Order: sequence, then structure tokens, then C-alpha cells
Amino acid sequence: MSAFDRTKAPTSGSIRKFDFPDVERRTLRDGLDLRVCKLSRLPVVSTSLFFRAGEAQLAESRAGLAVLTGDALEGGTQQRSGTELADALERLGARLGVTTGWEGTSVSMSCLADRLEEGLALLAEAVLEPAFPEDEVDRAREQQLAAIRQRAMDPSALASMEAARRYFVSGIPYARPQDGTEQSIEAVTPELLSGFVEASYRPAGGGLIVAGDLDPDEIEMMANHRLGAWTGTPQAPEEFRVDPATRERRVWVVHREGSVQSELRVGHVGTDRGTPDYFSLSIANLLFGGSFTSRLNLNLREKNGFTYGVRSRFGFRSRPGPFSVATSVGTDVTALAVREIVKELEQFVDGGPTDEEVAAARDYAAGVFGLQLETAGQIASRISQLVVYGLPDDYYHTYRDSLRAVTAGQVAAAVKRHIRPDELQIVVVGDADEIVAPLEALDLGLVEVLPTG
Amino acid sequence: MSRLTIPVERHSLDNGLKIVLSQDRTVPVVAVNLWYGVGSRNERKGKTGFAHLFEHMMFQGSAHVPKNKHFELVERAGGTLNASTWFDRTNYFETLPSHDLELALWLESDRMGWMVEAMDQEKLDNQRDVVKNEKRQRYDNQPYGDWDERLQALVYPESHPYHHSVIGSMEDIDAATLDDVLSFFQTFYVPNNAVLTIAGDFDRDGALELVKKYFGDIEAGQPIPPLPGDPSIAPLIGETVREHVLADVPLPRVVMAFRIPPYSSDDFAVAEVSRGLLGMGRSSRLYRRLVRERRVAKGVVTFAFPLLTGSSMLLAWATGYPGSSAEELESALAEELEGLAEAEAHEVERAIALAETDLVRSLERAGERADLLSMFELYFGDPDRLNRELDRLRAVTVDEIRAFAGERLGADNRAVLTYEPKVSA
Repeated sequence: MSAFDRTKAPTSGSIRKFDFPDVERRTLRDGLDLRVCKLSRLPVVSTSLFFRAGEAQLAESRAGLAVLTGDALEGGTQQRSGTELADALERLGARLGVTTGWEGTSVSMSCLADRLEEGLALLAEAVLEPAFPEDEVDRAREQQLAAIRQRAMDPSALASMEAARRYFVSGIPYARPQDGTEQSIEAVTPELLSGFVEASYRPAGGGLIVAGDLDPDEIEMMANHRLGAWTGTPQAPEEFRVDPATRERRVWVVHREGSVQSELRVGHVGTDRGTPDYFSLSIANLLFGGSFTSRLNLNLREKNGFTYGVRSRFGFRSRPGPFSVATSVGTDVTALAVREIVKELEQFVDGGPTDEEVAAARDYAAGVFGLQLETAGQIASRISQLVVYGLPDDYYHTYRDSLRAVTAGQVAAAVKRHIRPDELQIVVVGDADEIVAPLEALDLGLVEVLPTG
Repeated sequence: MSRLTIPVERHSLDNGLKIVLSQDRTVPVVAVNLWYGVGSRNERKGKTGFAHLFEHMMFQGSAHVPKNKHFELVERAGGTLNASTWFDRTNYFETLPSHDLELALWLESDRMGWMVEAMDQEKLDNQRDVVKNEKRQRYDNQPYGDWDERLQALVYPESHPYHHSVIGSMEDIDAATLDDVLSFFQTFYVPNNAVLTIAGDFDRDGALELVKKYFGDIEAGQPIPPLPGDPSIAPLIGETVREHVLADVPLPRVVMAFRIPPYSSDDFAVAEVSRGLLGMGRSSRLYRRLVRERRVAKGVVTFAFPLLTGSSMLLAWATGYPGSSAEELESALAEELEGLAEAEAHEVERAIALAETDLVRSLERAGERADLLSMFELYFGDPDRLNRELDRLRAVTVDEIRAFAGERLGADNRAVLTYEPKVSA
């Protein structure tokens, strides 16, 4: 019955044009930047309130305060207890989520569209009138301390934490864990939380993003009603310069007795979100370690079977974030895997990508972008990025063209500018007794075993 | 909100392949989703972990698709893809820009119809290593990572197909031969044991023609052999069974599980909503009482497994604080679970409201819609059940929940797995 040739992949049909949905911008009475995207597929709405209360603005002794403040918002408001707040939201079928990062705090909520008005009222109440009762703050603090302890025994989290310390010069925020240390968290009091809210929970530089099945005028009215009186500018962030901890290639081993795998992080300081190389580096990373068929994954997983998977990533932040390769490999092949990663990085920097690799990565990136705009939440989070990083309004309308314009020459040049194999910090969390000698034999740099805990 | 109205169309081919189509042309995205009626429950003693190992082999190329080409072509098209193995099924899925629907059908049909000739020892050895690293990474090298292996062994007797975990044992995976893998494929990866769903942006007639073109000449297989072991199981465990593990974990954790009616039973909805009262959201019973008020737990997790064979499982776990006593955590958790016998109507409304938002939000993605439709077709021959999901949950009454708590959440139906830190620091 086969009347066709199965050996040939079918050709694509005709492409349906698809653009990023239109976003309306309004400015609320207080100056808050409102961005609304009307979608009418399903009766849902996703909203996100972003403001510049981030970890990067905090001194080292206050590390984790922004995260803890965000978590403690669920402790209740001037009008209701924590349980009452949760109950009021959940009766609407809404959940409030707070995410705190280097740049700021995002309070997000998704619900059915006809419940947004009530939901937004609760969201505003939680952010504008937090109460921080003592027992709720105690609990949030204990939870964060327990999370810090959990992290210290989770090899993957431990490796990421150690990598940050080895990539970034000591003393800057990026060198420390985002949610703080035992010392900084133990010092937190309800007064500190209230003080942080007073200083930094301010609308200037932030935005309210709403995507879903509702009319922009209606949303503007609701937002003005609930957030119209919110004013002020967040405390200026402490300035800092991002420098590498060292320019010398080093190997750091965190001993974990009996570990059946080694967690690896290989990298150094990368670059910032505003870099003119953003699109070239995105393509570079996809083909090098950002997709299943990337060089790294095909080598370490599909050829050698060293790992379940390996990924590389540029962490683009408002200041230079990390460039890092992350994987978890069998203890007995740890040194072999490190050697392959370093070798792949060197070859990539020396030889650049092929035209074919770049074409494949461009097509992937441009196509996948459209796939990631199916839900109101995905669209809201894309729009948030415009606010967070100060990107132009038409950014997503030209996004795919910018990806498609990247050439192999640009990728090669960007990689040479931003990846430095001689400066790699190689962090290994694993059984030192098994892996130190083979790692030393690689002769990649001084191998230092760090005390556990 | 009013009823869901996801369009659902059913078809089948002569070789037994079931087809579900669900069109939504609002965004140019299409999802192709295949469910095979094979999972860890079909594995015999000594062959555990095969269904999952086999899932890996399905990405190693087929007769007309060289190794790695499957991923390469889908990624090149701007698509995403993956697969997963579970107790009762294995699924494979791609989401693509809609003009590349045919690519996914070609790839999926090639590995359904022309897989055997492409398998070789080298690929098996490679993927065996990958799977062993997956197990090390997710189970062995991860605090609490082996909980499901331990818990399943407590809840289900050795004779039952759910006694062993999906990942299986390293020894069995080591012992897998190419012949084993081939015979597994020939037994289970047949069109009469599969559902193909296409959801999203496609032309209805065109899509059906393409399905016939690519899948029509795959031969039907033999009927699927009965499950190994003894799927029959008593509704209750009959006692409290327990395991205590001293391990490299940072905090004590108590994992409790209960036998509940299987997913195919009408009573499963009661278990599902009960789980919502217990653990969905921050005004749920366990969060409110254990985390917020009594502060004995740092966090709680609950889950009602949608399992088909004999008995499903409701799970609740609570993680304590440094230095807290596992016994106290256990008795607090048990007390709150039993307390569900005093559930009130407003709690039911809250849980349903959350379930409603969750369901509608999951339907925003073509891939999720396709996955749910495949499940309902494979499990119940009724993909339109998706549109009645909320009715099923809304029909649950507070009296049923109270009765459920009394019958199912007591000490005579309890498996308790406790993790305690090896060294208290």
C-alpha cells in the first residue's frame, strides 16, 4: 500500500503568519506602567505585578531579605489573617504566587476572567497592606532556614551555589545564594520586613501586566481602583561591578562521601541582558548546549552515555550573569566528562559553528518562540521581561527576525568575546576519594578539595 | 463557568489504531500525541524498568530515520518533543508549528511500524548507560529520591503489577538483551494498543488523510497479553505498614499512602476532591494546620494517583524542621488526615474552584489537551469525558468526603515511610 517514499521526510506545508499579540500600554494615576494583552481563546486571565524590590539591591548582611519578604506576604494583611487571605483567593479559584529575583519581585495570579476584579483586589491588598504578624514571620524565617539546610544536602543546588561563589568576585550579590545565608536570615525581624516594604515596594520602574479575556478599559479601571493610590520610587539599588573571582582556570571539588554521581558546573562570568550579542549568544548556546541535539548533549549523553542530560546557559541579568554548563555524571566517568566539556568549549571558541548548525538553531529558536505563546501566563511573562529589562515595545514583533538574521560569523565572534576556556571554574560535587586523582591527571588547573558544609 | 466545549472527534483504522481529533485554530500550533497501552505494570519479574528503557530506545531512530534525526528534525521545525513512562501507559508527544504536522506523523508512524530493523546492540548499550544515569540522578543521588520505590513496595503486595517502580532495578536494566527489547516492542508497540491524538491547528479532512497515509499500512499486532502477577487486591491494606529510613537527608519527612479506588471507579472523584481539601492551596487542611498553625511541617505535598489496576494510591507527605521528631510529625499528619471526617461544605467549594481554574488553564496548551484526550480514549474509550471533568468533580458531596476519610484514611489502610537524617547536625 505504500505509494510514497518513506525514506524522505515530508516537506512543510504553508506557514501561517503569526505575530506576538498586541499589547496596549496605559499609565495609571500613580504612574504605574500597565500593559494589557487581550486574548479571547479561553475565559482565563494571568496577571503579574512587578516592582523593583530585588535581591541585587541588598547589602550582604541583608541577603535573602527580599525573598523572605515576598514569602511572608502570605502571612496576611491589615484586614485579614494569612488563612483568610488564602481562603478568599482560593474560593475564587485563584492562587497568588510570589517570585523574588535579583531584579525585583513579581506577584502573579491566574484565575477565570470573570473573577479578576475580586482577585486583583486581594493581590493589591497583599502587596500594599501586608501585616507581618510575628508568628507568620517566624514561620517564614524557619522555612527559609530549613530550605537553606536542604540546599546544602542537595548536590545540584550545592553545585550551583558553589559555582556562583567561584565565578563571581566575592562581596557582590551574584556571588551569594539568592535566598541568603543562615546568618542573614536569622537576623530578620518583622520590622526589617516592614522597612523593606516601605523602602522598596514602590511602583516606579515596575509594571502591572494582564493577559487574558478582558477588555483593556475595564482592566484599567480595576487597576486604578486598586493600585491607583500606590506611589513612590524604590530605594536606589547599591551599585556594584561584576568581576570574575579569578582569571585562572581552577577545579573545585566539594566532597560528598559515597556520591554515585558528580554534579558538574563549568563556567565563568558571562554577560548582561542588554548585550548587543544577545541574539548571537542565544543561537550559540542553543547549538552548543541548549537543545537535545546540541554538541554537548550528543557527545556526553548520546555518544558516551555519561549522563542523563547536559545543558549550557547564559544567565542574562541586568548586569553580567553566569555562563555555565551543568550536568550530573557517573562518578567513574567524572574526569572523562569534564575533559569532554572543556574540549567542546575550546573547539567551539577556536573553530566556531558551522553554517548548518547556525541555520538549524535559528529555525528552532524562531519556531519555538511561537509555541511558547499559547497561554495567557506565557504571554504575561514575556511582557514582564520588557518591563524588567527595559526593552522596547516592539521587541517581540521583531524578535524572530532578529533571531533569523544571526550569521555563523556573528556567532563565532560572540563566542570568542564571551567564552574563555582558559578562565573556566570547574566545580564538582562528588566523592573526592574517587574523583580527585583523575581530575588532577587532566591537568586543567589546580584542584582544591573544599570542606563540606 | 459553563460547561467546557472542547471539540472531540473519534476515528479508528482497520489495524486498530484509535484516533482523536480536536481542532482549535486560534494559534498556529499543533500537537501530536500518542499513548501506548503499556507501562511498568506490564513488566514481568526480572524485567523491571523495561517500559522506560524502551521509551528511550524509541528515540534512537527507526528504519527511515537515522539516530538523533528524530530530535533534529522536530527541533529544526521549531517544535518540542518528549515522552514519559508511567504505571499504565507510555506517551510520546510533539508540539509543532502547524505547517509541520506531517513531519510528526511521519516520525511517529516510522517508529511504530519500522522500528525493529533499526535497533542494535550499540544503541541499547548507550541508552542503558543513559537510563542508569537517570536513575542515579533522580533516585540515588537525590535526598528522598527513592521514595516511590519504597512506597510502592509497601502499598502493593509483591504479586501486584504496581509493586515495583517505573524506573525498575539496575540489575534488570543491566540484564536487558536486544532480544528482550525487540520482543517488548513486538508485543506492545502495535497500532491496536495505541491512541493517536491531534489537537490544535489542522485541517480536519487533510489530517485524517495523512493519518491513514502514514499509519494505515502498519500491521495490527497480537492481542495484548494479560497483566503479569495478580492485579486483584484488597481495597484496604488491612494494617499500618511502615518503613523507617536513616539516610543522607537534611530534614525528617513522613510519607503516607493509602489504597483508594482505581481511576476507573466512579468513587475516584471523591478521592480526588478529598485530596484537594487536604492539600490544594494554602487554605487546605494540611497547609493550614501543619505548616501555618502548628508549625510542625515546613511543607506538605498531596497527590491522588490516577491508576487503573485494582487500587490507586493517595499520598500525603510532610517535611519537618531540623531536629523535629519524625514520630510527632507522623501523628500530626495522621490526625489531620483523619480529621477530614469533619470536612465542611465550603471546603469542597474551594477545592472545586481551584480544580476548575487548573483544568481550564491546562487546556490553554494544545499539548495538554492532546494528552488528556489520549488518556480518556485509551483508558475509557471516551475522550469527550474531558468536557465532563468538572461535572464529575462537582458531583462530589461533603458527606461522601467524610465517609471516604473514615473508610480510607485510617490506621487500617496506611503505609508510612519515614526518612530521618543520619547525623543530626
